[in-house]
Amino acid sequence: MQPKRTTQFSPRRGSSWSRNQNTVAFASNVKLGPVAHTVLIALMITVLGLIYLTQATRATSYDYEAQKIDDKIADLTTQKTDLEIENARLTALENVKNSPVAREMTKPAQTDYVGQ
Amino acid sequence: MQLDLKKGSRPWILAILTFVIMAVFIGRLFYLQIVQHEYYVGLANREQLKQLVIPSKRGEIYAMDGTAPVKVVLNETVYTVFADPKVVDKPKEVVDVVRRVAGGNARADLESLVARKESRYQILATKVTRKQAEMMKEEHLKGLGFQATTQRVYPEGQLAAQTLGFVDAEGKGKYGIEGALNVRLTGVDGSLQAVTDISNVPLTVGKNNIEKSAKNGDNVVLTIDRNVQAYAEKALADGLQRSHATNGSVMIMDPQSGKVLAMANLPTYNPSEYNKVTDVAAFNNETISAPYEPGSDIKTLTMATGLDKGVIEPTSTYNNTDSIKVEDRTIGNATKGQTGVITMQHALNYSLNTGMVTVAQRLGDGASITRGARNTMYEYFHDRLGLGELTGIELANEAKGTVIPPTDVDGGAVRYSNMAFGQGLDVTMVQVCAAFSTIINGGTYYQPTVLAGRMNDEGTAFTANPDKPARLGMISPASSNTVRAMIHEARTAFYAGQDRPGFYIGGKTGTSQTIENGLYVDDQTIGTYLGFGGDSAATPRYVIMVQVSGKKMNLAGNKDALPIFTDISNWLIDYLKLQPKG
Repeated sequence: MQPKRTTQFSPRRGSSWSRNQNTVAFASNVKLGPVAHTVLIALMITVLGLIYLTQATRATSYDYEAQKIDDKIADLTTQKTDLEIENARLTALENVKNSPVAREMTKPAQTDYVGQ
Repeated sequence: MQLDLKKGSRPWILAILTFVIMAVFIGRLFYLQIVQHEYYVGLANREQLKQLVIPSKRGEIYAMDGTAPVKVVLNETVYTVFADPKVVDKPKEVVDVVRRVAGGNARADLESLVARKESRYQILATKVTRKQAEMMKEEHLKGLGFQATTQRVYPEGQLAAQTLGFVDAEGKGKYGIEGALNVRLTGVDGSLQAVTDISNVPLTVGKNNIEKSAKNGDNVVLTIDRNVQAYAEKALADGLQRSHATNGSVMIMDPQSGKVLAMANLPTYNPSEYNKVTDVAAFNNETISAPYEPGSDIKTLTMATGLDKGVIEPTSTYNNTDSIKVEDRTIGNATKGQTGVITMQHALNYSLNTGMVTVAQRLGDGASITRGARNTMYEYFHDRLGLGELTGIELANEAKGTVIPPTDVDGGAVRYSNMAFGQGLDVTMVQVCAAFSTIINGGTYYQPTVLAGRMNDEGTAFTANPDKPARLGMISPASSNTVRAMIHEARTAFYAGQDRPGFYIGGKTGTSQTIENGLYVDDQTIGTYLGFGGDSAATPRYVIMVQVSGKKMNLAGNKDALPIFTDISNWLIDYLKLQPKG
């Protein structure tokens, strides 16, 4: 088959064409054989596969984000616990008793009771 | 375009080739994915699916600080620092950093540990804090690793050590509340089954991921008031120093609820250094786990029994000859000279054994401690007041003690005559405190408890435990009023000047012989004092029981235990903001 581009006018009567039929046909010079078709199809499948993989691994990237947040939460929780321990140590009775304020305290000389 | 598939042409060959290759692929895929499906899924899961444990957080323990709960046992994340000697490239720097930062927590022979190139895991330091671990991490030393773990922290040091107990290296609670409520405090570990990457980061791929959240242990709040506990421990230590005694215990209870405000024991230990304790006896909470013959403080219960059964009044008299015969035994008084016709109040004031035996006799036929009298005493002491039975307090290793029933071959008149003044029975301090609270609070037995309630996970909301069912009418309110007045009189007769004026204080001494090899010995006595206090005669606000002892030491209730009671009682009046009414 050798499609050709025709530019020469020929009257309709002199041909077998009828109304509304194209009278000009474009023929490509690139020829694709069955091997090229097979390769193209394989490439398309590969591209589609890559697109699928991209989408699938996008969810996984969220896992790393979530893990980072979890690690941050764990770190902050540890810091909070450390502060609570520090607070508990500082307000322990032994520390309070030995504080400068407590050392300045004296026993009351007299106790007056307010009537209930 | 038209495919020309003429035999032997290139497209034909390609088509055949493609078909063959595809057939091989499809055949192989069919074999792998359909025929061998289970095998390869299992293989993949073994490699990709990780079973991770989500550890539950052990519940924290709170004590009361007045009306507000405060943490007395917390969890701290600490790190074990280890090295992979094969990977370590700067051993000297590793040693220097670990020694400098970890200090006393570092192993002594760091150089040799890091030099063991054949090993892949060597622990260099333990119990390193988060800050220390971060300082080491900043050095970016190759081959140095950190393993997080948790440990219990006791910011109050030795305070209430025997009540709290400790958590051993395997994470199990031992002794005290840690031992008794181990399951409740531990919680339940969760689990995570997920596909992970090489760093064990769980990924949301696959359909086999399962996450079961951990259930953290309960945060429990004790009825122990840390201020009362601290003062009780101090007063006990001072008292032991005065008496040169080696052992002592104090229990303070709210008689209107059975809530224990303090349990102090000496010698004691620091729960965070439980592994340094050489004498494991220090772990025991003597107030609940060491039954003993409490001595004369039991006379208050004998009087309550006699009053409630209507066989005596405070003014009832008997002829005291300083000794009384029970079957073939003669029982004498420790305090001699109060002879003649005296009242029961007088007998209680002077702690006369003859008076108590007389009460026991009057529970029978008036002349002997009959089976009926013994039944009555057993009913009151054991069934109604709980002596010789577990109280059910929420602490590990509570001992039951022994109150021999009249049905037993050893439950004869001699036994019960001894029981009337606190010998011949083994009971714990918590049992005595609960029984004493019952006879002075109007006759209601409250089960002793150290659990006030629980805190939520965030430690922001306290939920109080519902009141435990109380046993009403163990003695009548009238009998309770009378015995309370008798106990008050027993104290004020000799020790009124020691109490703060205007408050209603009562108490009874006890000095008990000890038994060694089945026989009473003369060179070792235990001093006890049992009393109550409050701002009015009608409503006692606290019960305090003190016990002091020592090997080969004769310690007395009035001389050695009473001053400790007085010290705590006078302090409690201020702490509880009581106002004088008398």
